[in-house]
Amino acid sequence: MKTGSVAALLSLALLVVAPLRAQEPEVAAPHAATVERVDIITPHITDGNHIELPWVLPPFFIEYALPTWKPIHIGALVLDLSPTKHVVMLLFGALALTVVMLLTARAHRRASAAGAAPTGGTNAIEAMILYIRDEVILPNVGHHGEGFVPYLMTAFFFILTLNLLGLVPFGSTATGNISVTATMAIMTFLTVEIAGVRANGLGYLNTIFYWDTKQPLFMRIVLFLIMSPVELIGKFTKPFALAIRLFANMTAGHIVVLAFVGMIFTFSAVENPAVRVVAMGLPAIMAVAIMMLELLVAFLQAFIFTLLSAVFIGQMRASHH
Amino acid sequence: MRSLLPVLVAFLAPASAAASEVAGAKVNLLDPHYGLMFWTILIFIAVLLVLNKYAWNPILDAVRGREKSLTDAIAAAAADRDSAARLLAEHRAAIEAARTEAQRYIAEGRATAESMRGEMLEQTRLQQGEILERARKEIESEKVKAIDELRREAVDLALAGAGKLIGQRLDGPADRGLVEQYLATLGTK
Repeated sequence: MKTGSVAALLSLALLVVAPLRAQEPEVAAPHAATVERVDIITPHITDGNHIELPWVLPPFFIEYALPTWKPIHIGALVLDLSPTKHVVMLLFGALALTVVMLLTARAHRRASAAGAAPTGGTNAIEAMILYIRDEVILPNVGHHGEGFVPYLMTAFFFILTLNLLGLVPFGSTATGNISVTATMAIMTFLTVEIAGVRANGLGYLNTIFYWDTKQPLFMRIVLFLIMSPVELIGKFTKPFALAIRLFANMTAGHIVVLAFVGMIFTFSAVENPAVRVVAMGLPAIMAVAIMMLELLVAFLQAFIFTLLSAVFIGQMRASHH
Repeated sequence: MRSLLPVLVAFLAPASAAASEVAGAKVNLLDPHYGLMFWTILIFIAVLLVLNKYAWNPILDAVRGREKSLTDAIAAAAADRDSAARLLAEHRAAIEAARTEAQRYIAEGRATAESMRGEMLEQTRLQQGEILERARKEIESEKVKAIDELRREAVDLALAGAGKLIGQRLDGPADRGLVEQYLATLGTK
């Protein structure tokens, strides 16, 4: 009865994994008799209309159902404005970021009133702000790029906060949702195109309709017919890549972490104690390592989004055909 | 150990797909959710406005102010250093001037002393000469006086002697004039 034993082991393993829906690896597994397959990864990386809040009693979380509102119909568009898990994370992230930054600003005002530099965490945040402004935004956006600092700076810290909140227990990664990243990318797209119109005036049309006056007329027409669609597609692939890059990076990292965490519980079914320690220990170590990597990725992806946005704005403002 | 591999494969491969079917509708990660997009725009723009007004501008202003005060301090330090160098040069020049003046005074003093000594020596020599001259003249006059005295004494002695010799008859003014005439011829010799 080999297949039988495998099936039993599998069901046991999945049973053990079942309570992990709460993203809480330390939750003790109740040995229920029901055999059920539970997906722990999809609920974690997707949106939902309930949130989990920490609680002192086992199973150490309470599920809170978010209210559902009636969808609003605007023409053919159905807009469901009910707050979801990711909306809550967005709000929480926005509040946390605002509070931290306002405290930083206050510390700065106090420090500069005393004629000194701020210390500690305030100084660290200042270093980040200055790095983003002086090394990422201003060199890439080009001359007189100060007007783009607020958008790009906010984008960086907003994405960074949401990325980091995804790594916190009970948190969820709003930047692992394509709707959020696509919206951010659309805002960058609009910023880029508006910057193009403002910097180039009518010359902005040259960034869509390729008309190279250095070429002879025939070649000009041929190039126009070939290059114009390419230019137009290029305009949309950039924000598309921004959206997909951020979404895929955040989602992939969480899937990997969850897979390793799942393995720990799966291997708790191994009978040989020595093998079990190794089989459970290795994924645990790997999960920790991937979490460390995710910390780096959280900063890296926020940085890349900001850097590429700045580069796109700079390219657009500097485009003179 | 035998059971490890199948468990792993079974867990990783069909589990999640099957589970999401259990959960209900198949999950498509790329499905856009317009409500969430709306909330993202709203929240992001709110954050942007708040942070722009109350965080980025104050922080960057503070940094700018600090940078300005730093550059000011550096400029002030440079100015101070320049003025210090100028003062030092001035003082050096003043010291140099004082030294040359002192040198000049010393030289002048030495020259004055030299000339004074020469003058005094000259004066002393002149006085000495004068004194010598006066002494010589006195000696000369004394000598003349002595000679006159001696001569008168000699005349008296000669007269006394002659008187003794020729007695009283020769004692008259004519004789005396004769002898004196003779003696005058002796004086001219």
